[in-house]
Formats: sequence, C-alpha cells, structure tokens
Amino acid sequence: MRRLAAIAAMSLIATATACGVGSSAGSGVYTTVDGAKQIDATAPINPFNPQGNTFLGYDAMTLAWPKNDPVDRNRFYPGLAASWSATPDQGEVVIHLQPDAKWSDGKPVTSEDVRTSIGLAYTQGGTAYAVDPKAAGSAADVRVVDAKTLKVTQGASKSNLFLRNVLSTVVVPAHVFGKLLPPGFWTTLKTARGTGPEAEKAKAQVTGLAQKVISFAPAEDVSAGPFVLERVNPGEALLVRNKHFFASRNIAPERVKVLNYTGNQQIWNYLIAGTLDSAPFTATPSGVLNRIRQTDGNEVVKGFSPVAVSLAFNQTRKPYDNVHVRRALAYLINRAQVTKVASPEAGTPAQTTTGIHAASAKSWLGGDGMAGLDPYRVDPAKAAKELEAAGMTKKDGRWLKPDGTPWRVEIHVPASFSDWVAAAKAITSQLNDYGVDAAVLTAADYTLYLDELAAGNYDIGFWLMALGPSPYNIYQRIYGSANGWQLLAGRLTRVPPGTQGNWMGGPETVGGVNPGALTNRLNVAGPDEQRRIVGTLAKLTNEQLPVIQLYDYVNTQFVSTTRYTGWPRTDSDVLRLPAGVWMQLGMIKKAGR
Amino acid sequence: MNTVARRLSGHLARGTAMIWVVTTISFLIIRNIPGDPVRGQYEKLIEQGMAPDQAERATAALYGFLPTGSLWSQYTDYLNGLIHFDLGQSLSTPGTGVATLIGSAAKWTVLPVLGGTLLSFLLGVTLGVYAAIKRSGRLGDALAISGSLLHGVPQYVIGLLVTAIFTTLWPILPAGGPVDIEFDPGFNAPYIASLVQHATLPVLTYALASYGGWILAMKSSVATVLGDDFILAAELRGLKRGVLFRYIARNAILPLFTILALSLGMLFGGAIFIETIFNYPGLGLLLVNSIGARDYALMGGTFLVITVAIVVANIAADLLYAVIDPRVRAGGAA
Repeated sequence: MRRLAAIAAMSLIATATACGVGSSAGSGVYTTVDGAKQIDATAPINPFNPQGNTFLGYDAMTLAWPKNDPVDRNRFYPGLAASWSATPDQGEVVIHLQPDAKWSDGKPVTSEDVRTSIGLAYTQGGTAYAVDPKAAGSAADVRVVDAKTLKVTQGASKSNLFLRNVLSTVVVPAHVFGKLLPPGFWTTLKTARGTGPEAEKAKAQVTGLAQKVISFAPAEDVSAGPFVLERVNPGEALLVRNKHFFASRNIAPERVKVLNYTGNQQIWNYLIAGTLDSAPFTATPSGVLNRIRQTDGNEVVKGFSPVAVSLAFNQTRKPYDNVHVRRALAYLINRAQVTKVASPEAGTPAQTTTGIHAASAKSWLGGDGMAGLDPYRVDPAKAAKELEAAGMTKKDGRWLKPDGTPWRVEIHVPASFSDWVAAAKAITSQLNDYGVDAAVLTAADYTLYLDELAAGNYDIGFWLMALGPSPYNIYQRIYGSANGWQLLAGRLTRVPPGTQGNWMGGPETVGGVNPGALTNRLNVAGPDEQRRIVGTLAKLTNEQLPVIQLYDYVNTQFVSTTRYTGWPRTDSDVLRLPAGVWMQLGMIKKAGR
Repeated sequence: MNTVARRLSGHLARGTAMIWVVTTISFLIIRNIPGDPVRGQYEKLIEQGMAPDQAERATAALYGFLPTGSLWSQYTDYLNGLIHFDLGQSLSTPGTGVATLIGSAAKWTVLPVLGGTLLSFLLGVTLGVYAAIKRSGRLGDALAISGSLLHGVPQYVIGLLVTAIFTTLWPILPAGGPVDIEFDPGFNAPYIASLVQHATLPVLTYALASYGGWILAMKSSVATVLGDDFILAAELRGLKRGVLFRYIARNAILPLFTILALSLGMLFGGAIFIETIFNYPGLGLLLVNSIGARDYALMGGTFLVITVAIVVANIAADLLYAVIDPRVRAGGAA
C-alpha cells in the first residue's frame, strides 16, 4: 500500500513537473501542423517517401518556391537556387545555387547534389523527369557547369511548365543519397531515353530503382533548410535550427514543433487552446471559427487559392447527356446560398461557370470575355424553358422525364467532406422547392467515392477543379482523363465514354472544337495562344456545362500573434507556401521585438 | 499434467485453424474493398492544394507497392509470407514493414486500453458488489444509475466531452499526441510525466466508457449469487461480513473474468474512437488509416494481430477458468 502511494505521489509530482515545463511558449519554439501529411514516426527521413519525415520549407528544400500568382506560374522566390535563367522556349534552364548554401553537417551544397537529386527524381517518374523521351516537358540532359552552376536541357517535346518543374526539384545531399544511384546510372538513363529493346531494358532499370529510393532510410537528417529534424514520435516532430543555413539571420525560432493530427477537429482544438503559431486551412464551420477567433492572438489570413468545387455530370447517363437539363439545373441552383451554408469563410460563390477560379478568370478573359458569358443567375422561368426544351414535363408540381417517369436528381458526395455534404444538401433543398425531386447520397470515404465516380456509377458528383495557376492544370480537370482524353508518352488519345476512367463522358468535339486537344495544347503554347485557348475553353465550358461551378475556395489560414509577428498579409503571394519559407524570407519575428 | 497438455494442444489446433479461416476471409474481403489507393492518394493531395503535376509525381511510384498477380497467387504469397513471419510492406508508409508499423502502434495501444480496462474493471467490480448488496438503498440506486448512464453514452461522446472540459474550458491537459517531443525519451521524470499527462484523458475516457458495463454485470452477477444456498448457509453459520463478501465476490466474478480475458484480447484492436479523438497512435488508429488508404498489407496485418490476440485470450481464459473455478476442471466433480 505504501509503495502504491509512493508511485501515485511520484506520478503527480512528475505530471506537475511536465505541466510546468511543457508549455513551450516564449522558449523559441514555433508550433505548427503540416497540412500535407500526417506524421508517421516509422517513416524514413526521406523526401522521396510520400510519408517521409521531412518537412518542406523547414528541412526539405527546393531550388525555388512558386509565388501564389493567379495567372503567371513562372514567378518564384529563391530557394537553394539564388537565381536562374531560361531561354524563351524554356529549352535550357541555367541554375545558380546560393553561394553560401551548406548542409547541416557543414558540407557545401553543390551542383552535384542537384544532379543526384534529379537522377533520383527520374526513378520516381513524372513531369520534368520522365524517362520516356516523348513525354512533354521532360529533361533530356543535366550538366554540371561548375560547383554552383547547373544547366538542365528540355527534350524535343517541349512544355511551358518545364522551368516550374525544374525549380520545384527537392534537393538532397549527394553524400547521403548518392549511393542509391548505381554506377553507370547516367549512361543507363541516356540509353533509356532512346528507342528499341535496349532502351526498354534501361528504362526498366531506372524505374526499377523507385522502391529502393522511396524505402531508403538515412540514419539522420542532413538538411540544407533552416531547420534539421532532431527527433520524431507518432504525435510530434521536433526540428532544431540548422546553424549552417545560408540565410540563418532571417530565422527567428530556435525550434519547430510539428504536431500530428487525425482530423480537422484536432486542429481546431489546438487553435482554440492557443497552441499553434500557424495552421493550414481546414474546412471550419462558422461557430468553430468564431471560437478560434476568441482565443487571444489568433488571427485569420486569407488569400487566393486556385481551387474550386463543382457539380460534375456523367453525360453517359440520361437526362444529363442533354445540355438543356444541365443548364436548367444551373439556373435553379442559388450558388450564393450554397456557399453561405457550406463554406461561408473559405469560399466565394462562383460568378459563373468558366472552369477557372474567379480571381484568375478576370486576368485570363478580361472584362469583355467575362461579359460574354452567361452568369446563370437563379431564374426558375429560364430553367423551366430549358427543361421543356429537353422534353420534360411538369405534373402535380413535379418534373417528369421525357418518357413520363419521375425525374430524381441524385447528388453523390464523400461523407467525410463536411462542406460538400452541406452544399449538396442545400442544392437538393433548392431543387425540391422548384419541383425537382432531389436527394444526397454519400460514399463512406473519398477513396470509395473516387472509385465509384471513375466507374461511372454516379449521375452527378462533386469535383475539384480550376487547379491553377497553370491553364493546362486548370482545364485538364474537365477535359482530361476524367473526360476521356489521355496523354500517354506525349501522345493524346481519346477513350470511349464509360471506359478507362472516362466517367464524364462528354462529346469529343463540340461545334468543331476538340476541348481535350486544346487543353493539351495549353502545355506547349506561348502566352498569346494560351490566352486565346483559355478564352475558347471558358466559353465552351460556360455553354456546355460539363460541370456547374459552385464556389471558389479561399485560402484561409490561422496565425497567432502571441509569440510571433510579421505574418503574411491578406492576399500575399507567399500564403500557399509553408511557414518555413516565410521564415526564410525573413517574415516571422519573435513578438515584442 | 497430461490433461493440461492435451487440453492446450487441442486449443492450439483449434486456434490455428480459426486464425487461418479468419485470415483467409479477411484477405478476401480486403482485396475486394472498392477503391484505388493510388488514385485516392493523388486526389487527396489535390484536395490539400498540391498542384496536379506535383501530386502525380508524389504518387507515381506508389504503383510499385501494389500487389500484383492473380488473387490466388497473391493469397499463396501472403500465406507464405505469414509462415515466415513476414507481414509485407505498407503502401501508406511505402517501404516500411507492416510488422514495424504494428509494433510501433501496439505499444501506444497498451497504455490507454490496458490502463482503462483495468481501472474500469477494478472500479466497476468493486462498486458493482456494493450496488448489489445495497440495491435497496440510495447508494445502490446511485451506483446502478451511474452505470446505466455511462454504459449508454458512446465512447466518442465521452471523449469529446472530456476533451472540451480538460483542454478547452479548463485547459490543464494536452489535447492530443502520446508524449511531448521536447523531452528526451527515456527513463527520466519529465518524459514519464509527459507520458502520464498525455495518457490521462484517453485512459479516463476508456475507463468511463467501460465502467458502466462492469458495474451492471457485477451487480447482476452478485444479485444472482446472493440468492444461492451457500450464501444463506454462510449467513446462518454467522460468518464475518468480510468472509461473506469474499464468498460473494469470488463466485460472482467468474462470468466477468471471461469478459475481462476477452477484453484484454480485444486490447490489440485498439480503441478506434479514443485514439482518433486524442490522436493517440495505437492500433485502432492504424487500422482506420490503413482502411482509408486501402493499404491491403497493413489492413491484413492488423486484422491478423487482432485475431491472434482474441484467440490467445480465449485459450488463456479457458485454461485459467479451470484454475479459478474447481467445478470446471477436467475430471473434477461439479
């Protein structure tokens, strides 16, 4: 009994001790959450591993950081690259590294580190480092000019995203990761970018390294960023200051604590408790947002987010193959009301359907372009005309299909997306008021939802779109693989509706325009041609409505002024970058200084 | 001794067969769950604001971790791996062994679930005896009502309530995570204190959520024992209250012992809601995340661990039951 009492007393004392020292406020700790992934203490310290324990902007560095520009995707802040230049067609990119850049073990960051990182990126495939030579925008040659200068040459199939993709390369230390590339790797890569059986064999050798690269677990973190990982447990990661960081004087915090989270609720709790110095956007109900704002020091910063949410149609299913039905629904949905219900703080009602976020649409289309579009304001009379044009009839206050059977609109959403569920409920409520029988059906999780959507099992589903700033990224969500246009080895093909993930099932051409081909062209076109293509696609999307754009997201972030100041202002072009980059740029300072 | 060995070998044979059947069924179910893990991961990254080309790059290599071949060959590979204690590689944490992930999560499950189970068992059983003995009084009523109330409230509601109270309204305990990363891991006071601090709310929630079940079961069991002839005989013999209490408790606890043994077996299923609410990285959370990510190997490994734990707990309960209750010993007279 005495022993039990002693243990209990020890526990109490120990708990009290922890309470005393557990508060990290004012001790130079910066506490945040990584919105891109949950912490897994068993994952390696490896940026090539999707779950890896590296944190972009803190201990993982890219050559440059893209600015949050609604239109221009080729504007960057320097990262490990101090400067860069590119030929007009982006055929050649020359990179000059930060002269003082060093790894946390004191070794200098060199061109060889970047070359090794590019070699490792080839094993993972995709974008600038696709092994397939026909893939648009892939690098053909990487040449070390000197210890701090590097030249990357684009292959014959050019893309205007090349500079962006090269500058987004995550750089790892060659003296740690270099051993993953076997001797003769660059020769094998050169062979792989040719044709014939030898090339195929070499290609398999390069991509065969992917798992080895992903699984590689360095014994400790070697970082060129402002921080270096000290340790990680399943709930938190601790990063300490890298004394060798080239812009060390810009960094105010001594340590960074990244908290894990299992859901939005957890982030809200941390914010309400005043634990976090900054947090990424989470869909937050108004009541919770107000509660977060009540905590001393908490502030909300908003900016452009190139994402919009839409109602997408499966045009292989009747009556949604009929444009009049889609237009009728557009005239019946009150987007302002839907946004108010679903995402009052982090959404703005779509002005109309263009496929583009409103903030970008103005720049791309101009005032005249926007004026020529149908805004699809709520207009039940127009909706009725459209439905009649589609052969539908109204009986006893309810709309019937052309064959006289009841028309039931079923809108599918993943159950875990609270704002989408709320939006879908608001829409069905509106439709029911106008005599259209409508219901919301939820999928258990997002993975299942996407599977069912791709299998063509839904009539109408929610869909993310307008993923700018690249116009190709924007329109490939509507006229890409989900609508039957597939880009394989640099060649655009069209698969029939209802097959190979073509669940939107739209026509290949409309009035002689092939939207998929135009979208693909956006990858290589110059600025003037891009503007013309975007104009054509916006007009076509507005008329044909393969989707109804509901609301554009607003990047809503939380910061606390209790311990740090110097936060980005509203609409700042750094808002979508990690807070570690804000620190690198000298923005975050300790409060009271 | 021979009898025990014979019983044990019979249990082991049945247990192994049971594990094989459950493993096979779970393998088939898991492989037939709809959902493409790579597409899911790609769209998740898009949803988090990543540019499509970046998301494509981040997910392309995951295809290499997907199982290939016919269902039969996947099944034989899986069984072959199991025989060699190889649970495969995770897809959601690519390159990491499933056994590593399960081992890492298991240690975090033990503290809240075992702590919560034992705390609620001790409280529930002790108070259950009093509730039965004093069932005509106010104390008995109060205890029974508290048990019924807590038994009826779902775990996640209790979890959210204690979170709101102790992390927001009266913020004296951490809102999540297993331990503060700032303390050096090891046998030192701040680290242990931080562990205790972080485990308090999960243990409390688990104990509150399961206390009601124990108290009601014990009360019912004691009430039944109280009507038995041997209790009447003991009272007539004028035995002391303490001895009588021991008689009652020892006989009434027998059915609860089986439930406790199974609860300890279920321990390896984790506490899904509690671990999710408190961001406690145990097996329950691991299972949920593996289902969300369609991580076939991890799902299979987690189900296997739960199955083995329950089978082992069943065997242990059966063997120990014979030890604590002479009536069920093999060959023993009732």
